[in-house]
Amino acid sequence: MTTLDVVRGTAARVADAVKIYGVGGTEVRALDHVTVEFPAGRFTAIMGPSGSGKSTLMHCAAGLDTLTAGSAWIGDAELGSLNDRRLTLLRRERIGFVFQAFNLVPTLTVRENITLPLDLAGAAPDQAWLESLIEVVGLGDRLQHRPSELSGGQQQRVAVARALAGRPQVVFADEPTGNLDSRTGTEVLGLLRRAVDEMGQAVVMVTHDPTAAGFADEALFLADGRLVDRMERPTAASVLDRMKAFERRRS
Amino acid sequence: MTSVTFRLSLRSLRAHKRRLAGTLLSILLGVSFLTGTMVLGDTLRANFDTLFADANAGTDVVVRSADVLDSPGSAGGVRAPVDVALADRLRTIPGVAAAEPSVQGAGQLVGSDGKPIGGQGPPTLAGNWLTDGRLNPYRLAEGRAPAAPGEVVINRGAAKTGGLYVGSTTVLRTPDPVPVTVVGIATFGANADGMGPSTFTAMTFTDAEHHLTPKGAGQASSIQVRAAGGISQRELADRIGPQLPSGVQAVTGAAATQESTQQLSGRFLSMFTTLLLVFAGIALLVATFTIHNTFAIVVAQRTRENALLRALGAVRGQVLGATLAEASAVGLLASLGGLLGGIGVAAGLKALFSTLGFALPTGGMVISAAAVLLPLLVGTLVAVGSALLPALRAGRTAPLAALREAGVDRAAQGRAGAVRVVLGGVLLAGGAPVAVLGATDGPSVLLTAGGALAVLAGTVVLGPVAAALAVRVLGAPLPGLRGVSGVLARRNAARNPRRTAATASALMIGVAVVTLFTVFGASIKATLDDTVSKSFAGDLAVTTASFGAGGSGISPKVADALAALPEVRQTVGLGRGVARIDGHGRTLDVTDPARLSGIVDLGRVDGSLDALGTDGLAVSRSEAQQNGWKLGQSVTVGFTDGASGPFTIRALYEGGTLAGDYLITRQAWAPHRVQDADTMVAVGLRGGVPLSVGKAAVTKALLPFGSPQVQDRAEYAKTAASGVDTMLSVVYALLALAVLIALLGIANTLTLAVHERTRELGLLRAVGQTRGQLRGMVRWESVLVAAFGTVGGLGLGAFLGWALVEASDSAGTGSFAIPPEQLVVVLLAGLLAGAVAGLRPAGRAARLDVLRAIATD
Repeated sequence: MTTLDVVRGTAARVADAVKIYGVGGTEVRALDHVTVEFPAGRFTAIMGPSGSGKSTLMHCAAGLDTLTAGSAWIGDAELGSLNDRRLTLLRRERIGFVFQAFNLVPTLTVRENITLPLDLAGAAPDQAWLESLIEVVGLGDRLQHRPSELSGGQQQRVAVARALAGRPQVVFADEPTGNLDSRTGTEVLGLLRRAVDEMGQAVVMVTHDPTAAGFADEALFLADGRLVDRMERPTAASVLDRMKAFERRRS
Repeated sequence: MTSVTFRLSLRSLRAHKRRLAGTLLSILLGVSFLTGTMVLGDTLRANFDTLFADANAGTDVVVRSADVLDSPGSAGGVRAPVDVALADRLRTIPGVAAAEPSVQGAGQLVGSDGKPIGGQGPPTLAGNWLTDGRLNPYRLAEGRAPAAPGEVVINRGAAKTGGLYVGSTTVLRTPDPVPVTVVGIATFGANADGMGPSTFTAMTFTDAEHHLTPKGAGQASSIQVRAAGGISQRELADRIGPQLPSGVQAVTGAAATQESTQQLSGRFLSMFTTLLLVFAGIALLVATFTIHNTFAIVVAQRTRENALLRALGAVRGQVLGATLAEASAVGLLASLGGLLGGIGVAAGLKALFSTLGFALPTGGMVISAAAVLLPLLVGTLVAVGSALLPALRAGRTAPLAALREAGVDRAAQGRAGAVRVVLGGVLLAGGAPVAVLGATDGPSVLLTAGGALAVLAGTVVLGPVAAALAVRVLGAPLPGLRGVSGVLARRNAARNPRRTAATASALMIGVAVVTLFTVFGASIKATLDDTVSKSFAGDLAVTTASFGAGGSGISPKVADALAALPEVRQTVGLGRGVARIDGHGRTLDVTDPARLSGIVDLGRVDGSLDALGTDGLAVSRSEAQQNGWKLGQSVTVGFTDGASGPFTIRALYEGGTLAGDYLITRQAWAPHRVQDADTMVAVGLRGGVPLSVGKAAVTKALLPFGSPQVQDRAEYAKTAASGVDTMLSVVYALLALAVLIALLGIANTLTLAVHERTRELGLLRAVGQTRGQLRGMVRWESVLVAAFGTVGGLGLGAFLGWALVEASDSAGTGSFAIPPEQLVVVLLAGLLAGAVAGLRPAGRAARLDVLRAIATD
């Protein structure tokens, strides 16, 4: 695969994805025949109320969870056919993660946390890339600190740097601003935006915050496990309006 | 305690069953061992009691010498014989139905295969066949009683083991070989093969007198008396007492039985059970660490829950009470399980000792109330005591903690306080010099033991301070070996030093005791080896393969028979005897000192060994020094036959040699001896005779003497040390339990740590740590903790071993040896065990569901 393919092609996609939790009377259909593509070099936001299936979609697309039916792909790799080990290797080589909380390993320094996926793979980091990344996230003077010595915003910036360090095919961010105040949240979202604009990184973000969705190139709306709408170049205001409209329709 | 807190603790017990499984198991094992020890002690005591009671069942009064000669290091005491003619006088006393002289001595039968029967522990007895059917505890099962010289009745057990039948001819070693014909086979009581595992050969009274008493006629060990109907034992003994000559006493049969049991309990059994209790104590001590650690972690993990209780209005006492109630429930439950296990342990230990060669009498299990109540109490107290500190901490939980993020695994919590450093430092700085002082100056075992305890306590207190550093040093190669998973393993092991130290301390104590015994054993072996190589100038040693009360020694004629061989330059026999020297019982070596000096190197000799005569002694220099004796001084020697007289110290020699502390000539000893036997005959070959030729010649010459063992110097040194190996293997088996409990502790702590790091582990998996890497990470953490405990234990044990060896070596002739191979084995075993202990937690960690691990509530 050449860099060109990555830039122009599809970073990740799910086709006809179905995820069912429980059986019989307690059966919950978290995903109901969802088909969606996450293009390379684009920032996609997945929106939806609690229980809409947005987190499930992300977990399945990222290989953290398995689909009941349908298929999930990272680039040209179909995740359903991979065993746990190959899935793990694929995650560390081709996917970056940013979670809402508990993002860093407390016993490792900032620098060690950033290079963790590379170290796990036993791969030598690209020093030049690493330095520029550290400069972008603005943590050059904190590299030898432990996570417990950083603020929440700083911790999340380290997590973003870690997600980008291996230049993955796609970065999945699960409510990355959920535990942050609006100013530090904006900083983190700005970082993700720059990764897309300046590094051509594909980013998929799950959020219920319209302001966060305003940083994306496209917003997808999920409700009751179905893809119900999509919006190009969303803004915080337009997303909020759209969500209010859903609420009215539902009630 | 209110019912609410009680309900809460029960709920939490049920909810965290798995967390407390390790605690439960370690108490259970400790209590099992304690119960097992006590039950075994009770059982053995009862078994022996029955045995002796059966042996004396028909005897109402025993008439015997009142004087018992006893020395430290000799088993049981030696009594002077009584006059046989006394029996006739006793028969004239009204109320005496029967009075029969009894001769008892040592006699080992040779089986049909030419090998001696028994001799490994239980006594091999010989005596006269008591003609009064009620006085005699043996019953004829086959054949008839001995009537002519050379005829014997043997017990059924000996017959079975030796393949002997009525009509068989064999040899009885008294230790002079006596040709005998088996004319009868007897049972002990109605249907037992023998009196426990001992063997018994009964001859005619004349034969017994001839072979087993010093004068060869007119003497008996005791006179057994049976009372006429209607007269009690007490009455008869009181009636006989005044009629006896001075120095002879009459005791009731019941008293004699009790005496025998007590003698055994006092020596063998109490030493045996004390030893086992010490190991039970070590196991429980190790368990204390494990339990304390578990509760400390559980309380830390439950901070939020406890804080919520406090916020809702629970007072400190209620939170404290709930934790303690949980601990006592666990303790009680585990102790109950341990009680059941203990009965199994007792049976197992008995079997273990039998297979190792310490034959014990058979009989049912005896379980006393104390053996049930004490372990139950101890187990529960250990659980509650260990949980006390964590429970206090739980009680102190601030209500606000409910609102904070529960940072249970923060390194900051485990930072060693200044108090800890000072206390630990003082204990170490005070204990180590005391131990060294006790070892080198003095030496004093008590002083050393006190210092050793302080060092041990200091090490445990300082553990958390050392843990972080030690783990970092020991884990230094890990990052290179295992990459980032190695880095993580090392940091995880160091992240809570207090917890790591508490976990490792348990193993450290276990390993320290193992090391202590290993070093101690190796040093004893080195000392024995040294003794043999330094002082044994001969080429061959003739010994009997026996220990304990069994066997009968070597015939004193062997030394002369071998000296007559053309290959042999010189021989000397060494016998053992007990005498009272200036009022204290002592063990003497009976030999020909003039011949001894050519074969056994006695070092620098002051005075002359050649002229001891029949009224002279040679004494080791250290023994003389201790008693303040000088050359030419006179001491009083009292013999077993009641005679006593002044002996002059005519020579002083170097101590710590093959010869003991006292040497006496055979001529001086002969008039007073009971049974004449050598324990060893040293042989020097003529120059130019090859060892193999000499050995063959000696072995052939020994055939008529029942083929005792012939060994060259190296073999002899090895046999001398083999008892140490047997002892060590028993000790290792007992210590395995403590080490097992320590490993359970490591597994338990890690399982709890994995539980509380769930999110972190999930994150690692999400960003690409494979299951294998995760498993490796947890396993290596386990190995690191085990390495800390093992290395610490090795160091501590080696130091304490050195101190103890030096302290117990009052003569200054012992050697100290560190066996490198064995210690490397201990180290590797510790590391391997650490890896094994990490298996389950690592497996659990690897099975974590990534999604649940990273889910945000």
